[in-house]
Amino acid sequence: MRQVAVAGLYKAFGAHAVLTGVDLEVPAGSLTAILGPSGSGKTTLLRLLAGFEHADAGTIQIGDTLVDGPGVYVAPERRRIGYVPQEGSLFPHLSVEANVGFGLSARERRGGRAASMLELVGLAGLGKRYPHQLSGGQQQRVALARALAIEPAVVLLDEPFASLDAHLRASVRADVQEIFRRAGTTAVLVTHDQDEALSVADRVAALRDGKIAQYAAPEDLYRRPVDAELATFVGEANLLEGVLNGTVVKTVLGNLPMDSAATALGAAGQVTVLIRPEQIELAAEDGVAGRVTSYGYHGHDAVVRVQPDHAPDDRTIVVRIVGGHYLPVGAPVSLRAHGPVFAWPRD
Amino acid sequence: MTAGTLADRDREQAVPAFRHPRRPVAVLAVSCLVAAVLALPLVFLLIEAQGAGVSEVAHLIFRPLTGTLLWNTVRLTVAVTVACAVIGTAAAWCVERTDLPGRRAWAVLVVVPLAIPDFVVSFGWNSLWTWAHGFRGAVIVMTLAVYPLVYLPVAASLRSADPGQEEVARSLGSGRLRTFARITLGQAKGAILGGCLLVALVLLAEYGAFEIVGYQTFTTEIFTEFNGYSFAASCALSLVLVLLSLLILAGEGMLRGRGLISRSGPLTQRISPPQRLGRARWPVLILFAALVLLALGVPVGSAVYWMVDGLPPALSGGANVSLLNAAGHTALYGGAAGALATVMAFPVALLAIRHSGRMRHFLERSTYLVLGMPGVVIAFALSYFTEKYAAGFGYGTWVLLVACYAIMFFPLALVGVKASLARAPVSLDEVARSLGQRRLAVLLRVTVRLAGPGLVAAFCLVFLSAVTELTATLLLIPTGTQTLATQFWAYESNLSYSQAAPFALVMIIVAAVPSYVLGRFFNRPVQAQG
Repeated sequence: MRQVAVAGLYKAFGAHAVLTGVDLEVPAGSLTAILGPSGSGKTTLLRLLAGFEHADAGTIQIGDTLVDGPGVYVAPERRRIGYVPQEGSLFPHLSVEANVGFGLSARERRGGRAASMLELVGLAGLGKRYPHQLSGGQQQRVALARALAIEPAVVLLDEPFASLDAHLRASVRADVQEIFRRAGTTAVLVTHDQDEALSVADRVAALRDGKIAQYAAPEDLYRRPVDAELATFVGEANLLEGVLNGTVVKTVLGNLPMDSAATALGAAGQVTVLIRPEQIELAAEDGVAGRVTSYGYHGHDAVVRVQPDHAPDDRTIVVRIVGGHYLPVGAPVSLRAHGPVFAWPRD
Repeated sequence: MTAGTLADRDREQAVPAFRHPRRPVAVLAVSCLVAAVLALPLVFLLIEAQGAGVSEVAHLIFRPLTGTLLWNTVRLTVAVTVACAVIGTAAAWCVERTDLPGRRAWAVLVVVPLAIPDFVVSFGWNSLWTWAHGFRGAVIVMTLAVYPLVYLPVAASLRSADPGQEEVARSLGSGRLRTFARITLGQAKGAILGGCLLVALVLLAEYGAFEIVGYQTFTTEIFTEFNGYSFAASCALSLVLVLLSLLILAGEGMLRGRGLISRSGPLTQRISPPQRLGRARWPVLILFAALVLLALGVPVGSAVYWMVDGLPPALSGGANVSLLNAAGHTALYGGAAGALATVMAFPVALLAIRHSGRMRHFLERSTYLVLGMPGVVIAFALSYFTEKYAAGFGYGTWVLLVACYAIMFFPLALVGVKASLARAPVSLDEVARSLGQRRLAVLLRVTVRLAGPGLVAAFCLVFLSAVTELTATLLLIPTGTQTLATQFWAYESNLSYSQAAPFALVMIIVAAVPSYVLGRFFNRPVQAQG
């Protein structure tokens, strides 16, 4: 069942069109990430969902209710959306408990709902503190508890982890994912960080040029993006020329099996092949010979760029290796790719 | 949570179909109303001028007296504004950015003179030294009385400015002085200009202090002419004065330029390490001591001197009762005016802070015009309109006086309310609305609560000014009643210095409380926000 349905959404600020026909259906209980580069309109989309802005055209439905559309506009306070802005925006004059209970009726507040929400986000016992006495991660979790307390139809999060330190981000992300799993609430978060989108969300909507380019599970989006441009946006990609023949594609890295989902290609022809850096390994022998052109060390892994010896052009191949040793520039290596790979017709 | 309950809720409330309700119609309407009320004095002047006839008004304007008044007013305004800018900025920089010993104590002491009415400062100097007279006396007295109007905003802006900019400038090879001139002054430019604007407008409207030192400006002449019921002449002079205020407003707007209204985020608060004064420490300390002695010591000392001088008659039973009585009235009128002006300023400030746009900007700035308008014009305008259109409602009662105060000091309330609303970011309102709160509830539960301290500051600013207001009070005060200011004035005019002195002291005490609150408000570090 879908919880949020957006159709043909259009929004312009003055002459600048930000959203040019967004269609999106968010399933109930899912955690959807809207992924886009800065300026792609993802925050605008979120603010339209929340009701802080008005759509110029198109409709938004939350649950079964039309909240924005021709002649219809439901005010934010009547949409039952839990909104978590980028900086958390706790009310500085209220205690943590009062923050969480802000949207509740007096009866609900007496019922101890705020305390149980704090427990849900793992901050039991901190109710009497004030926002400035909390760490950034704690503030973010209070903001989440406050949004969840009103039993929202959907929780909207605007770059919720951007203001956190890098070392906090991973743990807070995991916490948030766990909190949503337990609460069973539908959530939509926007982010420009593809790593974050892929790791947190059940489904990722890639926003490009004011439209949703693709809405899919993280693995689908990563392995089977709709086009080459999206492929490079969601991660590092080797885009190679290839010749398709049945279920096998011939590339500079040899013959590789095709992904069975790539059905739009027909039986044979010229294609662009997507090979992710981690699909390639540096083999001892009988691979494709080449020389290292750069070596980037990241601790947990390393990114090596290799120029194959017999290549049609001077494009390098990006390889991600785990636990390898340092390779100087010019060192001879041997590449071996693993399928299945994804491809698009080449024109 | 299910979609069902959401639908139920909406069915219950029968959602009306609105598009674009974000345009702040109600706020805009109330603001326009406030602006209309503030425009009453100007309308009054135009009506009177029209009644007198254009040629008559032109004749009254183009006479030698106007030239003298213009020269007097302009040279005084320029001299005092420049002096205040230098003293206020230098003092603020020393207190906020250097290792001056006793910074916290100085921060309070240099603001206290704001609590001393201008005409009491004037009385203090003039009653002790005869040379404090005319232009020289007016410059000394007014500079010492109003420089805190520059100090306060500049200190606040220096405190919230990003010290990183200075550090970057230093790292790029710019020396101490160059950094101060190019970065620090640049950061404080808006605050300095804002303070100077207030100073200049206050000078245009000042009456009591100039009357005591015997210096003739537009406002003193207007008061004299109004009192002699030569309405046409005083209206003509008032129109010139309004023109002068407009020029000052436009000049400030031009100097301010564009894009300077940037606010630094509350999260970027970092205390810069104080600059070392080194060998300059002692001279600076002596200058501070001198400033406080002149601005605070002279007026308070002279009031005490005259009171002790005439001790037996001043403390007789009758005098005490009238003192208490006058203090009570003063507090009542000032309090009511403070509340009224703050309430009026709220929608206009909301518009100015939360929404941009030419019309709104104009609306906000136009309200400054009343600051340069002499109290006596506003008082006459109010009684004229109530007599003509409200069957004399409130005439001769304190209601009219309080309304007059609220109009006169509206710009001060606006400054305070705006500063406080800047502390309540819009994102908090949005969160509150997403949590199911209606606009009004959001206003009361979030915006007003966060703006609370600033609203108190706005109230105090107006209270302070109303307590020390003289001309409108003299005209509109209910018959048989006295405030501290009017009673002081009555005694001072009779040269009964020792009888006037206790009223001056009580006035200072009554005004000291709100000034203390103000100092606290502007000194408070911006609270870290969620």
